[in-house]
Amino acid sequence: MDLLNEAEAALRPPNESSAEVPNGAAGHYLLGLIYRYTDRRQNAIHHFNQALSMDPLLWAAYEELCILGAAEEATSVFSEGASLCIEKQYMHDALSSKSSQASSDDHIVVPNRSLGVEDVSPRQLKDMHGYDVRDISRNYHGAASNQPLNGGPATFSFYNTPSPMATQSQLSGVAPPPICRNAQLNGPNLRAFGADSSPRSVVNSAVPGPRRKFVDEGKLRKVSERLFSDSRQRRSMRLGGESLVNTNSSASVASGNGTNHSSKYLGGPKSSSVVSRSVTIRKGQSWASENSDEGTHYDIYDDSRLDITTSSSSPRGDARSLEQEGAARPSGPVVVSGSRVAAGASEILGLLMILGEGYRLSCLYRCQDALDTYIKLPKKHYNTGWVLSQVGKAYFEMVDYMEADSAFSLARLASPYSLEGMDIHSTVLYHLKEDMKLSYLAQELISTDRLAPQSWCAMGNCYSLQKDHETALKNFQRAVQLNSRFAYAHTLCGHEYVALEDFENGIKSYRSALQIDSRHYNAWHGLGMVYLRQEKFEFSEHHFRLAFQINPRSSVIMSYLGTALHTLKKNKEALEMMERAILADKKNPLPLYQKANILVSMENFEGALAVLEELKEFAPRESSIYALMGRIYKRCNMYDKAMLHFGLALDLKPSATDVAVIKAAIEKLHVPDELEDEDAL
Amino acid sequence: MAESSEGEEEGNLTGGNQHLVVDDDLREMAKKAAWSVSSCKPGNGVLSLRDDNLDTYWQSDGAQPHVVNIQFQKKVKLQLVVLYVDFKLDESYTPSKISIRAGDGFHNLKEIKAVELVKPTGWVYISLSGSDPRETFVNTFMLQIDVLSNHLNGRDTHVRQVKVYGLRLNPMPRQPFQFTSTELITYSTVR
Repeated sequence: MDLLNEAEAALRPPNESSAEVPNGAAGHYLLGLIYRYTDRRQNAIHHFNQALSMDPLLWAAYEELCILGAAEEATSVFSEGASLCIEKQYMHDALSSKSSQASSDDHIVVPNRSLGVEDVSPRQLKDMHGYDVRDISRNYHGAASNQPLNGGPATFSFYNTPSPMATQSQLSGVAPPPICRNAQLNGPNLRAFGADSSPRSVVNSAVPGPRRKFVDEGKLRKVSERLFSDSRQRRSMRLGGESLVNTNSSASVASGNGTNHSSKYLGGPKSSSVVSRSVTIRKGQSWASENSDEGTHYDIYDDSRLDITTSSSSPRGDARSLEQEGAARPSGPVVVSGSRVAAGASEILGLLMILGEGYRLSCLYRCQDALDTYIKLPKKHYNTGWVLSQVGKAYFEMVDYMEADSAFSLARLASPYSLEGMDIHSTVLYHLKEDMKLSYLAQELISTDRLAPQSWCAMGNCYSLQKDHETALKNFQRAVQLNSRFAYAHTLCGHEYVALEDFENGIKSYRSALQIDSRHYNAWHGLGMVYLRQEKFEFSEHHFRLAFQINPRSSVIMSYLGTALHTLKKNKEALEMMERAILADKKNPLPLYQKANILVSMENFEGALAVLEELKEFAPRESSIYALMGRIYKRCNMYDKAMLHFGLALDLKPSATDVAVIKAAIEKLHVPDELEDEDAL
Repeated sequence: MAESSEGEEEGNLTGGNQHLVVDDDLREMAKKAAWSVSSCKPGNGVLSLRDDNLDTYWQSDGAQPHVVNIQFQKKVKLQLVVLYVDFKLDESYTPSKISIRAGDGFHNLKEIKAVELVKPTGWVYISLSGSDPRETFVNTFMLQIDVLSNHLNGRDTHVRQVKVYGLRLNPMPRQPFQFTSTELITYSTVR
């Protein structure tokens, strides 16, 4: 709701007086978000780190750190010490849950942003039933403890926040179970839920993109309880992508209710008794988000969605009974699973570690390393929507559009309803000029979720490809309206303004994108381009350099930096930069062309010609190459060759302006030496 | 399609397209220009020329030649002027002789193109290129469309819509030539 000041005030006083933020890890996380949105970077980092140290499974906090560019190595965060921490928490929870059972209160206020994990318990799903469900992020822990225990020690994150603490709610309940709803799991208990009308009851390994599910908190807890005590199934979960999607989209969710009603639910894991402990381990928020990382295997079943959507009445009844059941049983599982906690914890942490490292590296734009890290994941986890879309993103940053496209397509297959990273996918298709695929993607995304900024970004990209910049601009503005914290939408608006030659507004848009996320290199690059057009060369070089510093892998940025240096007459550096660009990406012909340009301006004609010959191999039907060669030959006074090349250039259908320029060049070919070589014509 | 007889300096344009089809290279340039007319009947003013509505028209109300002035904020490269006129609907109000002038302002307009329409029914394309291949575009601050005479010697004229097209922005600044092949275009920008 954007009431950041109030939120901050609510969370901070306790901070000062007692050095403890309510709800521990989650509180720190929220505080961190608030600081991040208000641009107080150091504080934000501090709080996220605190959150992580209190609850190492709080993936969302780690993610935010990565985005801010200040994350530590994943190994240190998700380490052994962390697993001990979790174990402690778990134990404590189990004990406390017993006592607090009775009074568990069902008001979990939907936080404005999901606290990291978007766990959806089957229960919640039920309540959701497609109605007015509120997004709830919760941590599920073995025990659903309630408010009274909030003030307790270490395990803050596992406590439910009483409704008055509006900004967050944490649900401590069984984390994993909520999601799992597969037939077996739900079979006995959830039978009542009936079949959901939703067609997605297909259980497939592809995890449907999790969407935020709005659930009634009360149910959530109960469900988690139930699941916790339920030791039936094994979970093979491919949550991965989903939860992450949820978490990642939390920013957009920030606006609170309503945005994505159609979220899909993460399939609930089926927990076998053995697994149940891992379930509890999930407490960390990271659970949901992190994708199957839970270390155990979960299958996400669409069924879970089904369950959720069934009417709430039965669930309620069920929930009640379950809860009681849960209450009666905690002792058993607690005792048994004590020792397994550590094992489960370390598994989860191992998984989180890899994912975290991969994410961190990709935020630092060390894309090749990120890709190598992701490869280390076991197959099952690699094939989840989230991981694949991160892989696609990494390829995109490296300007390897074909690979990115294939990774994103796989991601779509794995989780067809996930919107995470789909805006990048649409940009990839835009670059590849695949207008049919792009329009298909845009249509699908809009029909999946009309209120997500990514869908409108994709739509806008589609129009932009058709050169209809005004409509594209309108679409991007809609995306901005839907979520003003979505930096990429602002950048795309900027691109459209520039295409319409409205530089003022373009600059404004780029700057607002940068305000939201100062590491958004696309916006820096966009600003550099605008200044290049306006001939403010120092500015443009400065901006390109900033973009380059953030993303040192993109050969396109390098070649633009080179061009900017060239305009500043720093030709040597420009050439060096071009060399680097050429080395960085063999498939990119742009730096070669720019290099030729620079060489021409330095009057190094032979060098330029050599480069252009090489370029011909890359793009044999590119008229500008021949045009440039023609020009060079003309300067070298080799008129017959010049003529030949100009002719070739014209044959290859250059744009209308170029036709004029080339024809003019042909006419003037013999102007300096009127008397010579008339025959050569 | 609009045709002009070859070889004549004053092209004769007949027919007229029902649909407006313009190259992708071009874009409509006159959204931010200042449009004015020499005279108009109340209710049929200059707005009707730009409202994308073919039912509304501008009707002049004074002495010939009737003039439409388009002034830009900076020099623009223009290539094409497209008018929508319809003899069947407007009969004696349909323009017949049209002259197009360009220049820096009212004081130094020079005629760059003159055409004669013969019973046009639809979009009429008037290209601004000179015969010289070098002059595909007219680089100017101001454009003036003069209606010198009408069909059947009508006094006033109806014009339903006017669009002016010019160059698109070069997607890559400071580039001598534009890219045409996908290999280069794909890598030409960071989006």
